[in-house]
Amino acid sequence: MRQSFLRRLAESVVILIGVALLIFIMLRVVPGNPIEIMMGEHANQSTVDRMTAELGLDKPIYVQFFRYITGALRGDFGTSYSLGKPVSSLMRSAFGNTLKLSVSAAVFAWVIGILCGVLSAVRAGGPADHIFMGFSLMGVSMPVFMTAMVLQFFFGYYLHWLPISGSGSWRNFILPAIALGWNSAGAISRLTRSTLLDVLQEDYIETARAKGLTETTVVLFHALRNTMLPVVTMMAIQFSGMLSGAVITETVFSINGIGRLSVLAISGRDIPLLQGTVLFSTAVVILGNLISDSLYSVLDPRIRREA
Amino acid sequence: MKTQNRFHKSTLIKSAVTLLTALSLSVCLTACGGSQTDAGDNSQTPSPSGAVSSVAPEEGLLRTAVLYDITTLDVAKTTDDYMVPMNIFDRLFETRMVDGTAQVLKSLCEDYSISEDGMRYDFVLKSGVVFSNGSALTASDVKYSFERLLTAAAQNTDIPLEVVGADALMKKEADSLAGFEVTDDTHFSITLKAPNAGFLAELSSPAMSIVDAETMAQVKGFGTDPADTIGTGPYIITEWEANDHYTLVYNDKYWGPEPSVKKLIVRVIPDPSTQNLMFQNGELDMIDLINLDSAIVESSYKKTHADKIVTTPRVGLTYLVMNEENEYLRDVNVRKAIGMAIDVDTIIQNLYSGDAIRECGIIPTGIWGHNDSLAGFSYDPEGAKKLLSDAGYVKGQIYFELSMDSSATSDTQLLYQDISQELGKIGINAEVKTYDHASWLALRNSGRMDSFIARWGMDYNDPSNIMYTFFGSRDNARGRSINYQDSETIARVAAAPSIVDDQKRMAEYQALEKKIILDDAAWIPLLEELHLYCMGDRVESFIPQWAGFSDFYAADVTLK
Amino acid sequence: MNRDKLLQLMRENKVAVLSALVILLFVLAAVFAPFLTPYDPKEMDILHRLSGPDAAHLLGTDEGGRDILTRMLYGARVSLLAGVLPTLMSMLLGTALGLLSGFAGGVVDEIIMRIADVMLAFPSTLLAMLIVYTIGGGLTGVFLTLALVNWAGVARVVRAETLRLRGSVFVTAARSIGVPQTRIALRHILPGCIPTMIVLFTLGVPSAILTESSLSFLGLGIQPPATSWGLMINQGRQYLYTAPWCSFAPCVAIMLIVLAFNFLGDGLRDALDPHLESK
Repeated sequence: MRQSFLRRLAESVVILIGVALLIFIMLRVVPGNPIEIMMGEHANQSTVDRMTAELGLDKPIYVQFFRYITGALRGDFGTSYSLGKPVSSLMRSAFGNTLKLSVSAAVFAWVIGILCGVLSAVRAGGPADHIFMGFSLMGVSMPVFMTAMVLQFFFGYYLHWLPISGSGSWRNFILPAIALGWNSAGAISRLTRSTLLDVLQEDYIETARAKGLTETTVVLFHALRNTMLPVVTMMAIQFSGMLSGAVITETVFSINGIGRLSVLAISGRDIPLLQGTVLFSTAVVILGNLISDSLYSVLDPRIRREA
Repeated sequence: MKTQNRFHKSTLIKSAVTLLTALSLSVCLTACGGSQTDAGDNSQTPSPSGAVSSVAPEEGLLRTAVLYDITTLDVAKTTDDYMVPMNIFDRLFETRMVDGTAQVLKSLCEDYSISEDGMRYDFVLKSGVVFSNGSALTASDVKYSFERLLTAAAQNTDIPLEVVGADALMKKEADSLAGFEVTDDTHFSITLKAPNAGFLAELSSPAMSIVDAETMAQVKGFGTDPADTIGTGPYIITEWEANDHYTLVYNDKYWGPEPSVKKLIVRVIPDPSTQNLMFQNGELDMIDLINLDSAIVESSYKKTHADKIVTTPRVGLTYLVMNEENEYLRDVNVRKAIGMAIDVDTIIQNLYSGDAIRECGIIPTGIWGHNDSLAGFSYDPEGAKKLLSDAGYVKGQIYFELSMDSSATSDTQLLYQDISQELGKIGINAEVKTYDHASWLALRNSGRMDSFIARWGMDYNDPSNIMYTFFGSRDNARGRSINYQDSETIARVAAAPSIVDDQKRMAEYQALEKKIILDDAAWIPLLEELHLYCMGDRVESFIPQWAGFSDFYAADVTLK
Repeated sequence: MNRDKLLQLMRENKVAVLSALVILLFVLAAVFAPFLTPYDPKEMDILHRLSGPDAAHLLGTDEGGRDILTRMLYGARVSLLAGVLPTLMSMLLGTALGLLSGFAGGVVDEIIMRIADVMLAFPSTLLAMLIVYTIGGGLTGVFLTLALVNWAGVARVVRAETLRLRGSVFVTAARSIGVPQTRIALRHILPGCIPTMIVLFTLGVPSAILTESSLSFLGLGIQPPATSWGLMINQGRQYLYTAPWCSFAPCVAIMLIVLAFNFLGDGLRDALDPHLESK
């Protein structure tokens, strides 16, 4: 098992280098001089030329790539054009916010998702099932920006209960966490429900019931344990997805996180910043996949992943 | 796969029903909320801020928001990010609004005199002024500030380049600015290459902020690190979290009167709708309404906050450019017909809810030299059609692209589509095409953009700022995709600033304006927007910056 | 599949049938848009901006005084096309590469799958943003982007399916009697993948529609004066509190169509029973 893990790890590193190269080339075939945008409407040409030379953007592309990679290995991702600060320090502070958002969204998604899934499975077909599954369906079919807008309107503008944007205190994260987590909660509850329904058909559950155990005990201590395997895997993947930057949630709630940095970098043609955020997000996703695979084999030793 | 794995089909239907019911419910709530706002008339609703933040905002704190973060605190590196420099630095002069008119006032300059020929300026510096780190302000700091713009790879070189010896310094042929003589700590003189009646106004532009030579020699992070960015202004910057917010606090070593605002927090909120909500929710003390569609301002702010709205002309011009290298737009008749086809007054009434001023010339209202009596194009679609058919064009023959920047405000985007439609009515096919900001800029700067609508905001109160930028040289006209062809007029625009006599200079600018707009129809001036701000309950009064920048002097805000 | 069996399936799968009808309705509305409304979707009327629903404008007008119902109908063309066309393109690309990868094996397989890995490693919204940034926004840009974002997932599933079928009895038999490789791939393996592909397609459409709406919402997708539901929501967002009808209709439309495609996909998965892991 250790060997397969190491193999996966090596693969991940190769993928990451591939990603870096791909982004680097993609960003440089785009027409338009990023310096002109950086300088703004009132800049003159000689200043633009001087800045271009100063940032080494007039050098051949392979020289630029070499510089970038050697810099990145030392933890230096260059300086953001649009924010004028080192990309690494920008990402460090943004990641703090993204982490807070992801953790709160994940907690919401997991608690609500599993609860809804279990309750609707044990009451399959009943009114509770309909309500919980309606809630889940709403989560998976409503675009995140819509959920976010409705929450902002209702709990912020209309009731004045919660702040509409920002990342100052924990109160700021409640609405974004729900907006971001609802979608995941929907997916988790659907998966929990269907897996649990399958498990409840198994022979050993019948045996447990025959032993006279209460239904609650059966569900909580026998069935649920075996339901968790696919659910936990899904959670790991979802969580790394959130960590890699919840672009829309962060934009709508003005949270200075990785996702919003990416949007800013794209609209400002801020190449160093974009390279940094994309590389980072990709690394998080790759790591998430790696962890979820490992979790799978740890939790269920019967499973041998096909090579 | 077992059927239990799937939903019961009835479950699905019922779930879908539940979902739609919930959705309609939330939308009803939304709609109710909307009408509630409308019905709220003038009664001031109690501030909800207590409910939201649970702690009331501290005394002397002003909270406001901007759409984009600044890139630097250093005026040598930007022509846009003036909010911090305006507040933490001082200049020799400031242009401030006094009783509704913009006036150039002495600031760090105690006194000055100008020679007969308009070339030499003698200044006396205010004495006893110290920078926020305690270092004293001297004449050599002023000289250093001028030289720094020329020697560091800098923006804003235009103004110091007017001084004798500037080119030599910039090319590193000299090691100091020859035209800048320091007599003693408070006396210095500046000699210009050519007379420029607008020079004092130029010295008041944020670009000409004065920095400390001694501090600059010691610190590394000037412009990026708040602690290293030292000025003489009323505020110091204490905190700048990129893409999130920055904080200014009162500088207790400031030489002038103590402002009402002791602390200013500027949040970066890239989305106008969120800013709108935040203001309504009491999270902001002031909102810049220029980013919101005027229809929203009209239907909500003007009803609920009528007496809290501050309005100022946004000194600057929204204009339509027509590239004279385009096969149709090179014909003056086509350009004139376009001018006659646009119903600017209706646009102002309906797209801008009346919050704009019709402009007929190049020099906008509020700028020295503005010509109130200039008659512009009058709306006459029939006349425009006749002009085109007389010139031999048939309906639909004239085609060009109206290139739109996707980052333009919603008002501007509607303006594009409306103008395209009005041109369609006289048989001109002007197709709106959207570019992202970068591609748009690249295309425009290449001189190959057919046509576009944009706005020029004035940097300082003198016509040369706008005239020179668009018509002062072939390169300038090309960089704006105008490609104005008349070399003689271009030469006159370039020469105009050296006319020392103000009356004569104004007459020359107005003559040039007539020639360019009325005779050549080289571009079409449309309107000047009004800049509206709304103050929250904690704000007593506010005087916007003279040119209606979104950036303002925090000292011009008075809190309750 | 004979007729009786189809009818029986339809009876069992009422939700899927209903969903198919909803989708058909949307498609018809989009196709016949010019006959269903007297207005031009781009025609501005700045004298009647943001007016509420009434007899002349059933769903009200937007910030440019344009009829919202009309823009919904024309926007449906873009939104539905954005769902279907790029998904078809990514299906074609993904199937071709997946088939090639699973059938050829070796170095080819390795290369294709590693490229797919790289594509799948990107967070999807970010990948879409990045591609749209590189090739430019607008209709073509968005369509290409959506196609390029989704092919890798398809390629993986088709490759797995190919590997499964390659080991099956009839393929071994065909090979033993000397049927050429390409013929085996196209005549024996490809048809076996079709149920999987149909389900993948049906589930791919709503995700493409959502991605398009997200891109347009961020201002990177469809550009005015063209429109799509996502762009309408984005533009209407400013007016949510003063003119909620601007984004209400497109919101409901997106939800309905996404739900319908998801239900249909679930139904088809049951009916065709392809070897897919439910997600």
